Amino acid sequence: MRFALDDQPVDYLDGDSIAVAVVRAGQHPQHGGALCLAGDCGNCSADVAGVPFTRTCLTPARPGLRVRRHPAVGGPPLRLDPPKNPVASPAQTSVQVHRRHVDIAVIGAGRSGTAAAASARAAGHDVMVLDSESGFEVVGVYPGPIVVVRTPEHMLHVHAHEVVIATGAADVHPVCEGNMLRGIVTWGAADILRERSVDLGRTVTVDLTELARFDGIDGQVTAVVFTDGRSTPCDTAIVTSATRAPRDLLARMVSDPGVSVVGPAAERYDLPPCPTDGIVCPCSKVTVGDLQMVWDKGFTHLELVKRAALCGTGTCQGGVCMPHLRAFVTEKSGAPAAPFTGRPASRQLTIAEAAADVFLDPFRRTALHDEHLKLGAQMDRFGGWWRPWNYGDFMREYWAVREGVSLGDVSTLGKMIVSGPDVVEALERLYPTTIADIRPGRSRYVLLLNERGHLIDDGMVCRESDDRFVLTFTSGGASFAEAWVRDWIETWGLNVRIMDRTISLGAINVTGPLAGELLRRVGVPESPKFLQHRHADVAGVACHIMRLSFTGEASFELHHPVAHSAELWQTLMLAGRDLNITPHGLQALFALRLEKGHVIVGMDTELDTTPRRINMDWAVKMDKPDFIGRTALARTADLPDHRRLFGLTMDGPAPTEGAPIYVGDRIVGHVASAFMSPTVGKAIMLGWQKHSPWVDTVTVDGRTAHVTDTPFYDPQGARARI
Amino acid sequence: MIRRVPVRASERLYGLRVVATPEALDHARFAGSAGSAGSAGSAGEVTVLRIASDEVLALGAVDADVADPHAIVELETGFVGWHLTAAEFVSNVERHIEWLLPTHRPALAQGLIAGLPLKLWFDDDHDHDHDHDHDHDYVLVIASSGLAHEVVERLGVPA
Repeated sequence: MRFALDDQPVDYLDGDSIAVAVVRAGQHPQHGGALCLAGDCGNCSADVAGVPFTRTCLTPARPGLRVRRHPAVGGPPLRLDPPKNPVASPAQTSVQVHRRHVDIAVIGAGRSGTAAAASARAAGHDVMVLDSESGFEVVGVYPGPIVVVRTPEHMLHVHAHEVVIATGAADVHPVCEGNMLRGIVTWGAADILRERSVDLGRTVTVDLTELARFDGIDGQVTAVVFTDGRSTPCDTAIVTSATRAPRDLLARMVSDPGVSVVGPAAERYDLPPCPTDGIVCPCSKVTVGDLQMVWDKGFTHLELVKRAALCGTGTCQGGVCMPHLRAFVTEKSGAPAAPFTGRPASRQLTIAEAAADVFLDPFRRTALHDEHLKLGAQMDRFGGWWRPWNYGDFMREYWAVREGVSLGDVSTLGKMIVSGPDVVEALERLYPTTIADIRPGRSRYVLLLNERGHLIDDGMVCRESDDRFVLTFTSGGASFAEAWVRDWIETWGLNVRIMDRTISLGAINVTGPLAGELLRRVGVPESPKFLQHRHADVAGVACHIMRLSFTGEASFELHHPVAHSAELWQTLMLAGRDLNITPHGLQALFALRLEKGHVIVGMDTELDTTPRRINMDWAVKMDKPDFIGRTALARTADLPDHRRLFGLTMDGPAPTEGAPIYVGDRIVGHVASAFMSPTVGKAIMLGWQKHSPWVDTVTVDGRTAHVTDTPFYDPQGARARI
Repeated sequence: MIRRVPVRASERLYGLRVVATPEALDHARFAGSAGSAGSAGSAGEVTVLRIASDEVLALGAVDADVADPHAIVELETGFVGWHLTAAEFVSNVERHIEWLLPTHRPALAQGLIAGLPLKLWFDDDHDHDHDHDHDHDYVLVIASSGLAHEVVERLGVPA
């Protein structure tokens, strides 16, 4: 029976691991280094059947297997298969995840693990023993606790009330001059090789404390040199040690009261002698000299030495180097050095294994998704939703809004009903705007601030009755806003009911100077006045009609049960056919609102944007007794503030959004939004100046831009009130 | 009662969503339409899912009697559901669930499944050992309609 190592045949016996067969053939699975044959080091790892960093000592030899050594210098080349569908979620991953819930998971089936499992079973617990020899290779322990296991068929997540780590202890590898030669094995490995009838030739056994160096020729060990100067020729050097290295990597991954360590894995063994020469970390090829160098540069704690030298960051995650690294730091610092933190995964995973059952955040579709596709929309992801970017000609969409009538799908807006005896009090505290004086049937634009007075969202507050309101939020901010409102009202202990309606209601914005005419045609003879709202049937669909304006034209948002979205949309499109009704996408909407100078939270604003910085102090009533952010705004009101969002205009095409804004040679800010406005006849922008004194003339894209009052379009707002 | 005729493709779920005080919801009464079936039940039947201490999704309900003057009672059409047999549930859904499923019946379970926020309604008229109940509807998988396409893709259930 044979397999191929670097395209050369290697004979093996039934029951051989790849590593044993390779040693039997007088070779080394890598290019040198002591072998433990117990999975503790990375010195036998190779590319097996296309999977690099496979521990060949734990992989049974199979006929026809292709094994390739990793390069002597550097890592194995990355195999990058072209993605079939780069935007698809990895639902089709070939590796599945199975799950089990047990009382107790015991990791390790040695003496201590077997004893722990027997004891738990005797106590009536449901026990699962996880051991790599049984095909359960534990790669990580997470809080929960959850044990992540690789099996030959799939990944396994074991949810256990308790996890017992009984992984035993490992032989300590030698660190000295010549320790990367071929022909060096640990005591345990020698046992395995003898058991498998592998001829080791002339052997010399040496204790770590007596080892000075290995001598060799052409990468093969030829002699062991002892600390007393003796040199003994050999074909195989067997390293023994009175001390051991606890296999506690899994235990160091998690701090969880449900995780315990037993047996040799929990022992505190003496450290080996401080290394003075050789490679400490074979995986990352870190030498004792490297450790000394980073130590001399001031990295004088074990975790820092690890990070600076990369000692312990390779395949075996410290399995080889940990005792020697601790011995080095302990001697240098004079204080016992504890092991470094362990992090999953303890075994090298393939991307498919790591990605098994991991899903991207989903993007929702509105109920009008198919309508948009039928109309030729180019869809894009925005604020957690698939939304129409345009329908092929965004300027046509723009003009439909400005001169005719258009539909926009605003189903993605956050929507919430709040009701209760304390609802006004709650909203007064949530919003910086006065709420109590909003009359039923009226609505008000509001900002949402955090405790630091920074803008986190905006929307509308629509009063339906004395104790019931409808709130709207931005599409991207809706989920956070819901949690925000719920958390605060619960914190305050106010008597308020909250129902999120974001997924339940569709919303269509009917906008343009002919919007009122379109509504008349579908059964709304008298539409609400600006900033009014009411419930009415529209084309037979129960709607909450909100009149506001983000586009700058008359606009009516029709909020309705989502089951009727398509029907309502189709009816409106049909009724507006002779008005040349045209739906508009986000691209046109962004242009329209920019002409009005309306900011988009998260696009024009930053994480620390206050109302003052975007010239929206008018939306903040500091004479209110309290609201979230009031204290911070009061405290900072008189402090110098160097940031402002300005309207800008300039000749020529619109610059790229994000373009730097210069004053002379100095960058003072950036363009947040830009559009070549046909109604203004110039490129219009919202842009930040972050250094005062602010100036009226700046440079963008090498052209002169002038600070200009906003709105750029219809500054009196007359068109929204038509 | 989950109806016996399997509905493999998704269907929109109609009902009422109610937010009120927990006490009021404990004693709330719901009425279904005499002529139309709630999606999870036969004509006139209502399946009440307590999705939070202060919130109910009453599938099939057209009217609610809730003793809370500030209760919010709204028509709900934003969810879709799939009726699955035990075998379909095991092969398509259960392997993606990281958390323990309830063993009592009836039971509502809610959580992330394959990265999606889903609800599972296990009715009370089936053997708890679902391996013995492969031929009948076993569970109603409920998702926001906006995520239906993702449920189809990730769980392999029909659109």
